[in-house]
Amino acid sequence: MKTNFKKNNSNSSESNEKTSDFVIQGHKVPEKKLTKEEFEEYIVSSGAKGSFMVYRSEKKDEELGLEEL
Amino acid sequence: MSDNLSSSKELQNSIEKIMKKVQYENYDEWVTNFAINLSNIWNEKSAKSLQPLINENFQNEEESAIVIGRGPSIEKYEQLKILADSDYQGTIVCCDGKLSDALKAGVTPDKFHKFFVTTIDPYKDIKKHYDHEIINTYGSKIKGIFTVIANPNAVECARQSGIQIHWMHSLLDYNEGEKSLNYLSALMIRAKDNNHRLPAIQTGGNVGTSSWFIAWQILKCTTVALIGINHGWEESDSWEKIMSHGNMLETKNVDKNSPSFKKLFKTIHNPDFNCNCILDPLFQFYSEALKEFISRSPEWLNTINATEGGSIFGERIKSMKFRDFLNNFNY
Repeated sequence: MKTNFKKNNSNSSESNEKTSDFVIQGHKVPEKKLTKEEFEEYIVSSGAKGSFMVYRSEKKDEELGLEEL
Repeated sequence: MSDNLSSSKELQNSIEKIMKKVQYENYDEWVTNFAINLSNIWNEKSAKSLQPLINENFQNEEESAIVIGRGPSIEKYEQLKILADSDYQGTIVCCDGKLSDALKAGVTPDKFHKFFVTTIDPYKDIKKHYDHEIINTYGSKIKGIFTVIANPNAVECARQSGIQIHWMHSLLDYNEGEKSLNYLSALMIRAKDNNHRLPAIQTGGNVGTSSWFIAWQILKCTTVALIGINHGWEESDSWEKIMSHGNMLETKNVDKNSPSFKKLFKTIHNPDFNCNCILDPLFQFYSEALKEFISRSPEWLNTINATEGGSIFGERIKSMKFRDFLNNFNY
């Protein structure tokens, strides 16, 4: 799977901050009130890029696949 | 959508929307892959040709399959060795990423004649799964099932090893009608021969779930067992590994006791195997989807989780040790 992760070898002051946030490729995930936007940022940073979505349709049977197309 | 992701269902819906958005960032690559694959698709077989003949009562013959993934339990319990030492008579559906390991362990098409490998991901990195000398040794006896948007170099590597290529669609946007990539690609595939139709499967987001679908939707197996389909991490895995979805990348300043951390990296108990596993957000997405689709699968299908760990348990899922599966479902 592809990933957007990059090793962060930085010794910046940010990395030395005492905080309950965690940091991945520069993105902080706050301790409280995780929003959709923050979650999306995390997902994209954590390897979701390159994955497939789940196929959804109003025709629920179609979601299980089609014999032929 | 509220600001806070307060329930697992809400979280799942949110992830699905995000994945859809992320997916379309690679749309151009998929169209390019399809365009390059098209001449081969015209000349090679539809995965539909792999379907067994249905008897006059339109009932499937009893047939079992083992889906081989690359989750940690498969090594932990030496399940490839157990399988290689068995006299299993059923079908093998191996995820591309585990093919070389399976062959090296003795799970070969010489021993298991109904042997399939599956590729769903459209990315160039997939080529590495087929670039092994041992695959050249056995390739001609393996049937490959590839999405039409697979990376052409990955498919060519498999083709050069002798793997017999069979094509299928992965459902992406068919619900959007006649302008969808699924619809248009099918139209182009049928341009020379209107009977050249391919099955279209739900991927569930990953090759493991896709292989489960392939085993029953295309190969029509009535019992499908899963090994190496953990869709989760072991408690013994490092947080470095878990937090980067297996990429072993550096993370820092992590408070593992924070509510948001526990929401993102859930520890769950698998009551069937009496063990815990940890789900990162991607595995939450994969796990919830696979469990949903198993619960919605046809009544004639039995899904057996023989992974002996991981997050796949619940409605319509029978869990058992892999040895017990081999002893009881050898057909």
